[in-house]
Formats: sequence, structure tokens, C-alpha cells
Amino acid sequence: MTDSGPTIGPMTGATKPSANIHEYLAELEDIPGTRVYTAARARRGYHINQFAMSLMKAENRDRFRADQAAYLNEWPLSDEAKGALLARDYNHLLDLGGNVYFLSKLFSCDGLSFAEAVSTMTDMTFPEYRDMMLNGGRSPEGQRSIRANLAASEKGN
Amino acid sequence: MARITAGVGSSHVPLLGVAVDQGKTRDDYFGPIFAGYDWTREWEQAEKPDVIVLVYNDHASAFDMKIVPTFAIGCGERYKPADEGWGPRQVPDVEGHADLAWHIAQSLILDDFDMTIINEMDVDHGLTVPLSMMFGTPDAWPAKIVPLAVNVVTYPVPSGNRCWALGEAIARAVASFPEDLNVQIWGTGGMSHQLQGPRAGLLNAEWDNRFLDMLIGETDAARWIPHIEYLRETGSEGIEMVMWLIMRGALGAKTRLLHRHYHIPCSNTAIGHIVLEPAE
Ligand SMILES: [Fe+2]
Repeated sequence: MTDSGPTIGPMTGATKPSANIHEYLAELEDIPGTRVYTAARARRGYHINQFAMSLMKAENRDRFRADQAAYLNEWPLSDEAKGALLARDYNHLLDLGGNVYFLSKLFSCDGLSFAEAVSTMTDMTFPEYRDMMLNGGRSPEGQRSIRANLAASEKGN
Repeated sequence: MARITAGVGSSHVPLLGVAVDQGKTRDDYFGPIFAGYDWTREWEQAEKPDVIVLVYNDHASAFDMKIVPTFAIGCGERYKPADEGWGPRQVPDVEGHADLAWHIAQSLILDDFDMTIINEMDVDHGLTVPLSMMFGTPDAWPAKIVPLAVNVVTYPVPSGNRCWALGEAIARAVASFPEDLNVQIWGTGGMSHQLQGPRAGLLNAEWDNRFLDMLIGETDAARWIPHIEYLRETGSEGIEMVMWLIMRGALGAKTRLLHRHYHIPCSNTAIGHIVLEPAE
């Protein structure tokens, strides 16, 4: 757990020390197997997420299902993004700025449960993933920091 | 005068709504989860709150990426359950308390919180699942709701400290509302879960329970937990727990524990639930 943090008074009247945005953003990139939905990703993935959001409407789902490539061509998406969407390559979509709450519109359109879709981003099959969850989920041990893992493995060598 | 009489924290996993809607709340999978809410359902029947300030987040239902408000307050008369891609939940419409909501909105803005005001929106599982957990399946929700939507999706999300301070300001706003109202504040979301990437499925019961501990009594340690700690320890979606700090902040310097429940798993998520009241 954290220590008690900066010792400043209540917000009223007090000035909060401004966080260093560069350090803040760098830390967000230091988590193994995780793509934090930062402003940079939100910007890059804007049209991926807005496309996914359009699937909230039944008529759009029907048009998308009828001709996926044609529907995607209506959106200002890169070929890479279109390819990843057609392949349902969700890790790739996260890298391109997709966010899971938006991508989940595509899960539902495909008739996939949230957990099943999520399992495709791991190295497990859905039954394996489900068993892991029933057994208490994935432990954070060794999953907290890329830098810490690197330092530990260098020490080990 | 209106007063905040209690705070409730709860996960708002969509699958819990499915369990309620399909009558599965006592089966082997969901039974232990719902049993932990039995105490609260009875307590709520006795407490009869007039209004609930319900802190939650929208999951790409009412808001898309066009506009991302950090803190938004619903000042409308009523809200319909959102269609989240499989038809709206068959639960009652949510009735707002526009007088109190507008009073809180104005008070917060004068108190330096630059709120976004919402007059019309649909509300998704983030708001309706906690109602089902606490009230079951009535024909109409027994309390009016002031929805308070927080951005916990696009970074940076608000800091724990800011959320706590917002809770303090909400308590001041409620206390200056002239009508005699029994108001509760609910903080929803979490606990540990990660819904994306190769690390998906992360749960952290030890951390979650320490977080629950930190909501009880006089400590304000939880308000200083940095975002990176939620992310590392509780998964990328565990950050929703900052919304519980708005609830905790609104209860004042010290709280007393009335009820607590924790269960792993519900789908991808750790279920946490706590009921607190302000203490002198
Ligand atoms: Fe949520």
C-alpha cells in the first residue's frame, strides 16, 4: 500500500502540488500486459471507438454484419485498424487506441460474452480463463511493473 | 434540512443485473454474492432514504468519445435504462430529484467544482445494477436518484483526493438544502478487475480488503492512493474505486461500519460491498 502521501491540508484553500505529467504518463506505460487508455490512445483510436459505438444501433449492426468491410470503409480508419477489426484482434486494437468498453459493442454484436472476449486477449482458452477466475483470478505477483521485472531478471542473470 | 445519513459502496458488474433479471440470484454461482446484500436490502427497507446521490460511471452507453465530462450531475426529472447492445434492462425508470440535483450542482460550482450538467440521458448498468442489489425487484424504485457520473475511463481520471473533496462538497451542498430529506450517497464500481490485454483477469483480494479497511473510521489514507497503485494492484478497471472515495468523503471525518461483504469472482471482477454511516 501507499505511504500516507503528500502532507497537504484539505483542498479548500490549499494548493495541490501539481503532478509531473511526464512521470505520470511514463508510469502508465510500465504495467505488463496492459494498455492504459491515455489521451494519446484515445486520440489515436477515436474512430475505432466511435465505429464500435455505432453498433449500439440495431440497423447499424445489421448493415455491419451484411458487409463488414463496406461498413468499415464508411469510417476514417487506417487499413491496419480495419484489418484488426475484421480479425477481432483485440490486443492489436488496444495498441491502436481501442478501449474495451467501446470494443465490447463489437463483442455483443458477435454474440460473445464479455468474459469470453476478454479471454481472447490472454494466452488462455476461454475454459482455462474461466477456471482461473473461479480459482481467484490472476495474481498481481510479477505483474506489477515492466521495469521491476526487467531489473529482477537482470539480477538473476 | 436535508442530511446524508449513510454511504454505500458496491460493485456494479453487469452480470449481476443479468442474474437479477433472469432470476438466478440464489443459484450456486450467484447465491454467495447476493447473500452478502441481504442485510443491506433489509436495512434499506427500514431506512427509507428519500434520495440517493448515486456515483457511477457510464460505460460507453450515454456518452461516447465526443464529450468526456470528468464530473457530471443529472438534473433531469427521469432517466431510462440504457440499451447496452442487448435491449434495455426491464427495470423501472429512474426518477430524479431535480430540485436537490440543481441545488447540489449550483452549490458545487460555487464551491469550485466545475460540474457538467445533464438534463437528459439514459443510465446504464453502472447505475441500475446497484439499485437492483440494494432494492431487489420493486415495481418502482423506492428512492429518487441524483446520478453523478465520473470519468474513470479516459486518463487522467480525477485523483482520489479530488474525488474525496467532491464528496465533502456534496455533503455541504446537501446540508444547505432546506427540505427535510434523508439522503444517502452510494459509490459504485470495482473492486479489482482488468478487462483488457494479456494481464486480463487480475484480482487482488488482499488489496481490495485493505481498501475497504481504509474507508472505516478516521483515516483518510485512501484519498492519497495514486492512480498507478490502483492500476498495478487492482487491474486497469480497478480505478473505478476512486468513485467510492466520493461516497467516503461525503460522510465526514469519521465513519462507523454497518455492513461489509467481499466475494471473488463475478465474471472478471471482485465483488465488494460496504455500508457506512457518519460517526462523531
Ligand atoms: Fe464499471
